Parts: sequence; C-alpha cells; structure tokens
Amino acid sequence: MAHAFVAGSDRPEKAVIRAGFMPLTDCASLVMASVLGLDEKYGIKLELTRQHSWSGMRDRLLQGEIDVAHVLYGLLYGVENGIGGAATRMAVLMNLSRNGQSITLSRALARQGVTNLAQLAAAMRKGTRRYTFAHTFPTGNHAMFLYYWLAAGGIDPLRDAQVVTVPPSQMAVNLAAGHMDGFCAGEPWSTRTVLDGCGFTAATSQDIWPDHPGKALGALGAFVDANPHACRSLIAAVLEAGRWLDESSEHRDVAAEVLSSPAYVHGDRHAIAARLHGEYENGLGRRWLDPDPVRFFDEGEASFPYVSDAMWFMTQHRRWGLLRDDVDYAAIAARVNRVGLYREAAVLAGVPAPSSLMRRSVLMDGKVWDGSVPDTYISSFPIRRQAMVGA
Amino acid sequence: MKQPSNARRTLRIVVVTTVPGDIADEAVLAAQARRNTALRIGLLESGYDIVASLPADIFLPERIAQIQPDMIIIDSESDARDVLEHIVIATRDEPRPIVLFTDDGTPSSMDAAIEAGVSAYIVAGLHAERVKPVLDVALMRFRREQKLLDELSDTRRQLADRKLIERAKGVLMARNKLTEEEAYQRLRSMAMNKKLRLAEVAQRILDVEDLLG
Repeated sequence: MAHAFVAGSDRPEKAVIRAGFMPLTDCASLVMASVLGLDEKYGIKLELTRQHSWSGMRDRLLQGEIDVAHVLYGLLYGVENGIGGAATRMAVLMNLSRNGQSITLSRALARQGVTNLAQLAAAMRKGTRRYTFAHTFPTGNHAMFLYYWLAAGGIDPLRDAQVVTVPPSQMAVNLAAGHMDGFCAGEPWSTRTVLDGCGFTAATSQDIWPDHPGKALGALGAFVDANPHACRSLIAAVLEAGRWLDESSEHRDVAAEVLSSPAYVHGDRHAIAARLHGEYENGLGRRWLDPDPVRFFDEGEASFPYVSDAMWFMTQHRRWGLLRDDVDYAAIAARVNRVGLYREAAVLAGVPAPSSLMRRSVLMDGKVWDGSVPDTYISSFPIRRQAMVGA
Repeated sequence: MKQPSNARRTLRIVVVTTVPGDIADEAVLAAQARRNTALRIGLLESGYDIVASLPADIFLPERIAQIQPDMIIIDSESDARDVLEHIVIATRDEPRPIVLFTDDGTPSSMDAAIEAGVSAYIVAGLHAERVKPVLDVALMRFRREQKLLDELSDTRRQLADRKLIERAKGVLMARNKLTEEEAYQRLRSMAMNKKLRLAEVAQRILDVEDLLG
C-alpha cells in the first residue's frame, strides 16, 4: 500500500474532525497531534473541545456534536452493551495510552499504619466502620482497576465497601475532609493529592496490570463507517504524536508545558511533567523511576487496539454484574475495535503493528488474560457478583 | 387553566447544583450559576415544587436515595453528571427521569439526547410558561418507555424462568428416575413448602447439581 491515502479516492470525507477530550494528562497525544500540526499533514483539521464529564462526552458523541473522543475504554463498551442506557454501536480507532493511573489512599489511613493493600484489607476486616472508595465513572477503567485491586486483596468492593463516583477535581477535597478513604483516577489528580498532602499513592495502575490499555480513541460505529478515510488520517496523525511523545524527555517537557495551559488540562506544569517522565513520589517518602510509566506509543505496541484488551473490560463488567448476561465477548470486540483501519493508518505513518489480535497479560494476582476463554476467566475469580435468580 | 379532574400529586423535583470551586474555569461556573437561577425561577413560576437543591458532592447518591424524587434536573455542563450516572446505573431497576438544562437548545441535539436516554432538555432562558409543558412531556415519555421496558423484561424473565425450570426438571428426572410430570410435581411441592418461586427452587437444584457435578 504505497499510494498516498490522502489524495484521490482516499481523500478524507470530512476536513474537520471534532474531538472531545477530558483535562487529563493522557489526552497528550490527541492534543499534540493538533498542536504540532500533524493533523494537517494527513489532510484533516482537529477541532478540540474540552469536556467536563464523561457522561457529557458520551452524550455529545451520541448526538454527533463531536466526532471522536478521548474516552475511558470501559465506558465505550458500556455504551456498546447498553449498560445504563440504550445500546449503541461504538468503535475504537486506537488505544491512546497505557499505564499512568493510580490508587490513592488517605493520609489518615497511613497514620493508622495502613500503607498497602494487605494492611487495608486487615483494617477493613475489623469491621469498625464503613470504608468508602471513589472512581470516576461506573463502567470506566478506574472503577474496574479499583475493584480488581480491592478484590485481589480479598475485599469484595460491592459488599465490603461503599463505592462512589466522584469527579476527579473533587477527589482531593473529599479525601482531605475524611469523606472517603481512597480513590482511583488518572493524572494529574493523583499527583495533586500527593502534593496537597492529603493522600499517598498505594498502587499504580501498572502495578495492577503492567501495560494495561488506558483511554481509547472512540467514535460511533456509524461515524467510522461513513468516514473511513478521515478516521484513517486521524489515527495516523495521533500515532505520529504518540511517537513524538515517547521519543524524548524534552518532548514530554514540551507536552507538559502545553497541557498545563488553561485550554487543556489547566494544572501545574511540574506536577504534570513528573509522572509523564515516570518520576514517582508516593507521598510517604518513597521515590522511584517507574519502568512502566504512561506510554503513548511504545513502538506501536501501546496504540494497537488489541481485541483481548477490549474483551477484558467486558469480562470485568460481567464480573461485577454491570453486564447481566454473557455476551459474545470476542465477536463484539472484533467488531468494535477497528483493527483493519488501524493497520492501514500504521502503514501510512510508518509504524509497526503487531500481527496478533490478542496479547497475553499477567495481572497483579497472577491471573493470565489472553482473550481465549472469557467465561472461564470470569468464573475463576473467587470474588465476583454472583448470578441471581431472575436477575 | 382548568386542572384535570384526576390531578396527580405534585412532582418531587431535585435540582443538583455544582459545587463552587470544582471547575477551574470561572466563566463556565458563572454560566452555570446563571442558568441555575433562570431554571429555578422558571420552575417556581410554573408552580413546580423543588423539594431540594442538592450540591453535587459525595453525599448526593445517599440524599437522592432518601428523598426519592420523581425527577432530577442537572446542568448539562456540570462535572457531577458522572455522579448522577452512577445513580442511574445503581438504580437501573427503578429508573427516574433525568432532565438536563443547557444553553444549547438546537432541536436536533435535544432529540438525540432524548434518544440516548435523557428524558428532556430544558433550555436556559426558556420562558416560564414553556417549562411546564417540557417537563410534562418528559415525564409522560419516561413513563411510557418504562412501561414498555417493564413489559419486555417481564417477558424475558418468564422465558429465563421457564428455561431454568426445564433444566431442573431434567436434572430431577435423570437423578431420581422420575417422569417429567413427577419431576414437575416435585418442584412444585418444594416451592410451596419453602415458599419460593418455582424458578428459585429450580435455580437451587441447578446450583447443587453444579457443586456435586
């Protein structure tokens, strides 16, 4: 496929692509694709709009007010399967990031000697009070990682704890006020609570699942069907931006500067830069250079829309009763994740693409996920929402 | 205007307000405050009773569970939309209409939002006399859809129940060498003795069968 997609019959159907993003560090590749003008290189123009909530982002996608979104992987599959609303055919164009989220616990817990999962589980087993944990969206990545982490420690998140959704900007104030014990969210919000002194990083998301998928570049299935050339150009542009981000720490410094502006993340440049570089400080005096920090490219590995990654979110939706019935996990993921279009874009941008649709991952509890037998995988978890008669 | 003879009780409306300081962008916050005031005036002038104006904080789910409103109204640009989404999913067996209010009132976006599950859009600056019909339509539409959904889930449940009962009968027939009729009678008497539904007894039998292999 040596011919240029941009000209002739492969010309993008749409010159302007409206993209929604949330003010989070991992919107970097989408934002930089626009800032560096990589979109125009592929014959499109990105029009970025900042969103205030995941629900609002979802509604705008469904209404066609935005064309594509920097969005929680789990949320897209929640919409695809009609969890909490009408089912709508969605599409994943690519994975935007890996790693770089965190579980933060309150400093009050640390003062009582709770600094890790085992100690948290022991404290909760005493049953002297109710523990509350927050995530950012009921079907989202942070909810699934939080539940996974707690359950790996023997805590049933739905029975032994109270779980709430809290906007990331309210996490620190609620932790400081003692309204909750911990939360799972993205950056720069986790760093912010560490810097504010009200929380400490108890686990990174890469501790839970090394190289886990993060935000997806999502769209309506119908939009991708109607605009394949524009979508291919968009993927290529964002792939280039991801490559640029992972290329050097100077580039990430530039990105941190850009993201810190009020138009994007609106936060402290240094707070954004540190974890972008993998420089961690847990808030209890431990500092380290993380070998698996947030990644946007990783030689094309981080951006590939693995079918097994998508299936994992559905297995967790089923595990926690969000999905009420088994679905054809593999078939849905293969339809939603537009691997074919991605591969064409990868050729366009000169990016290597893995040959397999599935990958093998070992999560924190030693369990292997390779996309092969989802039903067995779901029932292998001792802690899960049990099927109920008539439910 | 003449009241309908079968006037139903007053709607219990909760308005969710954004906590100041959540959103760094002061212009966004100011716009929300302006919309909020206009909305409250519109509701009051239309004769609606706002039972509570709740801050969109961590206690919102508990407060809504206590108040049990008929309708929840929230600004479409509020970051607390996700808190409400949590409530929508957690109480999806007893849904209630959610109404968004917004500055952007193009009819196409309203229609699409309603398709997507939002009950209605109220556009800021809507005249007081228009608020009532919008809410009435929202509520009517919501109730009609709920009725359809209920019927659908009843049918699904009956089907699922029947499948369970068939499978449990099969287990009893194989294990205890019973005829189909005898297996069914056994299930029925177990259900009556234990005061359970037939499908519940069937599920228990299948669970035991799973355990024993």
